[in-house]
Amino acid sequence: MKHLAILALTFILIHFALPAFSEEVKPENQLGIYEKLDQYISDDLVFTDELYNQVNLKKSIDKPTILVLVYYECPGICSPLLNGLADAMDKSDIELGKDYQVYTISFSHTEKPPLARQKKKTYTKLVKHGDTQNAWKFFTGDSITIAQLFDDVGYKVKKEGKEYIHPGAIMVLSPEGKVTRYLYGSAYFLPFDIKMAVVEAAEGRSGPTINKVLNYCFSYDPEGQKYVFNVTKISGSLILLLAGSLLFTMVMKGRKRKNKISKA
Amino acid sequence: MTEATLPQPNFFQAKKGIASWIFTLDHKRIGLLYLFSIGTFFVVAAGLGVLMRLELLNPGRDLMDPQTYNQVFTLHGVIMIFLLIIPSIPAVFGNFALPLLLGTDDVAFPKLNLLSWWLYVIGAFFALGTLVYGEGSADTGWTFYAPYSVKTGTNVTPTVLAAFILGFSSILTGLNFIVTIHRLRTPGMGFNQMPLFVWSLYATAWIQLLATPIIGITLLMIVAERVFGIGLFDPSIGGDPILYQHLFWIYSHPAVYIMALPAMGIVSEIIPTFAQRTIFGYKAIAYSSMAIAFVGYFVWGHHMFTSGMSGPAGFIFSILTFFVAIPTAIKVFNWVATLYKGSINIQVPLLFVLAFIFNFMIGGFTGLVLGSLAADVHVHDTYFVVGHFHYVMFGGAVFAFFGALHYWFPKIWGKMYHKATANVAFVLLFVGFNVTYFPMLILGLQGMPRRYYDYLPEFHRLNMVSTFGSWIMVSGLIIMIVNLFVSWKNGAKAPDNPWNGITLEWQTSSPPPLHNFDKMPELPEGGPYNYPNAKSYQE
Repeated sequence: MKHLAILALTFILIHFALPAFSEEVKPENQLGIYEKLDQYISDDLVFTDELYNQVNLKKSIDKPTILVLVYYECPGICSPLLNGLADAMDKSDIELGKDYQVYTISFSHTEKPPLARQKKKTYTKLVKHGDTQNAWKFFTGDSITIAQLFDDVGYKVKKEGKEYIHPGAIMVLSPEGKVTRYLYGSAYFLPFDIKMAVVEAAEGRSGPTINKVLNYCFSYDPEGQKYVFNVTKISGSLILLLAGSLLFTMVMKGRKRKNKISKA
Repeated sequence: MTEATLPQPNFFQAKKGIASWIFTLDHKRIGLLYLFSIGTFFVVAAGLGVLMRLELLNPGRDLMDPQTYNQVFTLHGVIMIFLLIIPSIPAVFGNFALPLLLGTDDVAFPKLNLLSWWLYVIGAFFALGTLVYGEGSADTGWTFYAPYSVKTGTNVTPTVLAAFILGFSSILTGLNFIVTIHRLRTPGMGFNQMPLFVWSLYATAWIQLLATPIIGITLLMIVAERVFGIGLFDPSIGGDPILYQHLFWIYSHPAVYIMALPAMGIVSEIIPTFAQRTIFGYKAIAYSSMAIAFVGYFVWGHHMFTSGMSGPAGFIFSILTFFVAIPTAIKVFNWVATLYKGSINIQVPLLFVLAFIFNFMIGGFTGLVLGSLAADVHVHDTYFVVGHFHYVMFGGAVFAFFGALHYWFPKIWGKMYHKATANVAFVLLFVGFNVTYFPMLILGLQGMPRRYYDYLPEFHRLNMVSTFGSWIMVSGLIIMIVNLFVSWKNGAKAPDNPWNGITLEWQTSSPPPLHNFDKMPELPEGGPYNYPNAKSYQE
């Protein structure tokens, strides 16, 4: 009876403790992606393409559009991300320009079209088929428009010194400018992931994110964060020490002499 | 008849009532408690798997919306991994058979053993609770990366806590087994006279003991980050999110060997019994278990090839991963060599074990494809990974589990199952399994991404084949479960040693008495699998 009472109490405690553990951290402090599936981008987002043309994003979207938010001077994952995307686009059997288009937008308002042009030259070379010239655009814009776009698609970055800490992902918009899919990753995309996302976007269907392994582009200061490694080092040594002493004791003590089984 | 001479009632008869079960200190009863809890979870998770295959029968939405599909596969994965495969063989058959195999009356710490089961139950409650309470964690897959990465350090806390509680159950079982093996072997049984299943439990126990605390430390670090704002994993406060992945996989990869090693131990137990032959390369098999446990610690990085790893690190992890193949291959060669020229008695347990070898080989070879850096980047996150994983886990560990269940069934319940029905169930399971999962390997190579509720029309035919296979498999499963259940209730009485085995558990009555042996078991001369000698003691 006593046992059962303790048991019941444990389960009641767990029942009440669990929601407390699951409480939300306020998202505004956090960088990352806050998915806005099925929401439309604003009507008045005007960015400048690599040829200094002013382009209204929503009006110019007439087919499924892959949206890539990076900054061109990023020393981290932006280049591998664009390389990975180009690689997957190249392997995919859907046609750039006919089935879909790609908009790369810099979220650093200090970056200008000449740099965008340079980047376009680098990345469009990697895609052998499709109309890379007209269907893969590289935009820059002012800080207000960028902030608005961030809000529309739920993207949060943090400036640190000259660099940004930001998530690595691409988004897919339907021909009406609706967010239909987030694909997380920083260097490897499956051609079929891209194709599925484009096919879905063409039909205006959205899909919840499949693989939420979100990568960040960040700089990490191992010198300033030594305590992290100390934590892991100390606890690791402790575990090994304990396990070692257990083994030592066991080997030294050997088999238990007394055996309860009687020799019948 | 042995019954007449039995002074003690068997362990079922010793005490009655529900409390005598859930608070029992008897290792055999605890093993059965695990069997029933794990069995229940297995049926639920297998049902979810069948639902997923049903959704994938045709492209487009048939049965459930994408969100539900994500939740279903998460639940399927979490239950199967954390509540079934990790504890399965050590918790059920380790508990039931280890003291019997060692010729002793119980494990070293019976109360700790009961605590392990309770922790398992509480951990299961937590793990499933995280999927219900809060939001966002139900659709993440079993690695739980998402809540961490999307809302840093939120829902991951109860989830890691669940893994920690379940892990603690695992640590305590491991500790118990280590001490039992060192201290309670019957007189005359040295380490090199132990049955190989005991060796594999020993290697597994060390993994449990050493790897599981890491998930505990991870939990403490997450709490430190959330409560004190110390930047450990969150990049916005100077932390390193990759560190979380490292810590997760430092635990979770060795956990794969917690699942695989005991299965290999079962194979090493069943093969010599049904070949009536000394096992080939006893020491090689025993030490290769330890080698797998050791090397298994250093290969976690191969789960992170695509999440930002330097070239040299990737190269080293790739090479180390290949090293695991060596002790594994040693075992396979030794098993096959044991069968060579043996007096093979084809019975259901042996069939399951042979299926294990076949499936595990496919799982192993496809694992090499994934372990090699260059190939992995092309097939990662495709159905190839799903196929590989199921070949190792289901085709490997779970088939070995079924083998063990049929092997020790007469010992546990003192009844014999209907052999012909068991054969039919086996054939359906084996055929169904391969028809379900082999197409996944091909689909993966063709580039079909995993985790979608939908797919492009070019993948339709193979998906249909796979779903059809799942029906065959489920019918096999149902027949097997019903057969075992009916035999448990109404089966013919089994002799104490139906397979002519010579390990010590066959020297006691079936079911064994509460204290396992009425008289001191006699060690077979010349090692645990020296069969010619065994025949003399049988008579």
